[in-house]
Amino acid sequence: MAGNENSGGNRPTAPQNNPANISATGGAGQSGTQAAKYIPGMPYGQGQELMTQQTSAPMSGAPEGPIFGKQLGTLLDPTNNPSEPVTAGVDMGPGPGSDILPKNISADTRADENKMIVQKYLPTLLYAANLPDTPDSYKRFINYLLEQQ
Amino acid sequence: MSKVAWLPGSLFDNIDKFANSLGYQNAAIAIELAMQSWESPEDRNAFIYAITGDNIQGTTENRYPIRNLRR
Repeated sequence: MAGNENSGGNRPTAPQNNPANISATGGAGQSGTQAAKYIPGMPYGQGQELMTQQTSAPMSGAPEGPIFGKQLGTLLDPTNNPSEPVTAGVDMGPGPGSDILPKNISADTRADENKMIVQKYLPTLLYAANLPDTPDSYKRFINYLLEQQ
Repeated sequence: MSKVAWLPGSLFDNIDKFANSLGYQNAAIAIELAMQSWESPEDRNAFIYAITGDNIQGTTENRYPIRNLRR
């Protein structure tokens, strides 16, 4: 039988068989609009009502492009910052330490917590500081809290 | 009243021991820990020793002046 023996059948190298070609967002389609989608599990009559609403006017398609302006890779992708050691931001190994991290990550919040505690309990703490048998160590502590205000 | 306030295991005794053992900069957590219901002063001291690795701080002297009491 004449003919090309390579014709027909499944071609593994065809674009439609490449899993990397599948859009993670489901694709924007060809019309630029979003297709109506039936949502199951709704009370009787509301599913049909929602379908009618969706088909009554074209819905805008999915936004194009990555959300944050830069395509996110996977954990196994090569680094985008090859000159930065993996220990950057950690207080060990090469690279800068935790002092380069944003303040809301590395900030010591104990001073703020102490202020809150002092404001909340100071009257009671001061009462105990005035008692005749109050130990010096407790008075030193109260003096420290007063200085922190 | 004052003797009761400073009985071992009382709230103020706990505050004294926790604040002086953990450090004044940790005042907030020291006070919160002092408010816990410790079974005994020994249990409390064992806890402090476990997390600090040091002996319990806080004294029973009472010659130190308190400042700014009229704030």
